[in-house]
Amino acid sequence: MLLPWEYGVRNLARRPLRTALTLTALSTVVVLVLVVVGFIRGLEQTLKTSGDTSVVLVYSVSSKENIENSAIETRVPSLLGASIQSVFNRFDVVHVSPELYQGTRVESESNESGFGLVRGVTFRTPLVRRGVRLVAGTWPDDGEVMVGRLAAAKLGISDRQIAIGRTLRFEGQEWTIRGQFAADGAAYESEIWCHLADLQTAAKRQDISMAALLLAPGASPAEVALFCKERTDLELRSIRETEYYERLQKHYRPIRLLGWTIVMLVSAAGVFAGLNMMYSAVAGRVREIATLQAIGYRRRAILLSLIQEGVLLASAASLIASLVALVWIHGTAVRFTMGAFTLRIDSVAILIGGCVGTLLGILGAMPPALRALRSPVAVSLKAN
Amino acid sequence: MKIDLFIVLAALGILVGCSGSPTETASSPSASSGKALLLASEPDGAIPVGEARQTVQSDQEVTLVGLVGGSTEPFVDGIAAFTIVDESVPYCSPDEGCPTPWDYCCKQNQVQDNIATIKIVDEAGSPIASNARDLIGVEGLSKVVVQGRATRDDAGNLSVAATKIFIRPGE
Repeated sequence: MLLPWEYGVRNLARRPLRTALTLTALSTVVVLVLVVVGFIRGLEQTLKTSGDTSVVLVYSVSSKENIENSAIETRVPSLLGASIQSVFNRFDVVHVSPELYQGTRVESESNESGFGLVRGVTFRTPLVRRGVRLVAGTWPDDGEVMVGRLAAAKLGISDRQIAIGRTLRFEGQEWTIRGQFAADGAAYESEIWCHLADLQTAAKRQDISMAALLLAPGASPAEVALFCKERTDLELRSIRETEYYERLQKHYRPIRLLGWTIVMLVSAAGVFAGLNMMYSAVAGRVREIATLQAIGYRRRAILLSLIQEGVLLASAASLIASLVALVWIHGTAVRFTMGAFTLRIDSVAILIGGCVGTLLGILGAMPPALRALRSPVAVSLKAN
Repeated sequence: MKIDLFIVLAALGILVGCSGSPTETASSPSASSGKALLLASEPDGAIPVGEARQTVQSDQEVTLVGLVGGSTEPFVDGIAAFTIVDESVPYCSPDEGCPTPWDYCCKQNQVQDNIATIKIVDEAGSPIASNARDLIGVEGLSKVVVQGRATRDDAGNLSVAATKIFIRPGE
């Protein structure tokens, strides 16, 4: 015979302070788990959405996988457009975007500064970078810039400093912010975009970093790769944009592994904290447990009731933690080497947080309950 | 009735307009078996890549000899094409422990003037849409002799649309 469901529920209310403390401890553990999972999910999502299967990047063979270090001749985009049939062409506009991409120190009006990512672009860039949307203001004119949604996070400055109409200073020049853009969470969102020619002049560069080209529907990037092999004088290499970000994901694999390790360590610490709490909770109930056995309840029924209490408490803690994470943590911008991303408390994160919380409840309740049940009833009834 | 006909024609127009065929730049490998491209015996008169870059003109039929390599990844993914380097250019010896000796990492400055791109083409002259490794079984530093039509550009780059290939055994 099982103990009534209400018994476990009422037991939680019988010791409100202890219950509240356990609930707080469990909620904190689950929040920590959610923060770490949100970090990993945000990083993964940024690298996953940063890439279009139809876009191929052509850059310098000597820069390996760092496009920031790439320098190619300015004639490359026009050569690509003229030589490769598989490049998308609409109304005689070849969809090739010459871009200069570099990291540089950016200073705000209030002299706050940070390391920013600046991309010199042309009017053809939005034809290739199809995820980019202007969300406020206008496309920049000469001497002006438009900033990504997460540019402030990348620079480590306040959002007010990158409001439209404010100025930024980089490469020895002042730039007025004319627009703001979003890119569905892609890496560009942490960048500052300006006219290619302006950036070349300011940075005293005559080259570009890369050419991004949009393939015609159904076309293969192999033709671009063949062009790069044939034009050995230009020292080019090509890569599908999605593949480029997949390689970056591999680059960030140790960070993700570290993140998952932290999740496990935090969970383990939570289990031990839970165990400690439950031990002390059950230790004070030895006589109660013995009495239940004396009046005929089987050990299994009592164990189930104690686990029920633990799971109830842990589930409530998981719900509180999820709410806290969704309201205060979701969407928080985090800086990393190639830009910024937002912590992402999505369904997967909530599921992991919920599972960890429930496990804490089960694993935390079982050992002390088993220990209490193992002692003889006669001895336990006499316990103080 | 006229309106119905107009709608049908407009719909057909949209369908035809939207069903653009993908750009066809390479033929499928099934059309041209790799074995058919391989020669049983080595052709005579093969010239080294370095010499070819000095003497060969565009549209000239050539027989070139060289080693597959020139970069970490000398093969083009998705098209049967690769680069070959003149045999005279030294590469890392096995005892140096270099994992990619075919990239000529120590002698890259010599590669520039001693490299050619080989595109394996079918009877129609279209590059074959398959990796050369799978098609004819070559690897980095395989010694190959290729026959085909040369193409030169203003920058001096040499590419050959190869129709026949001989792989020196054991190399």
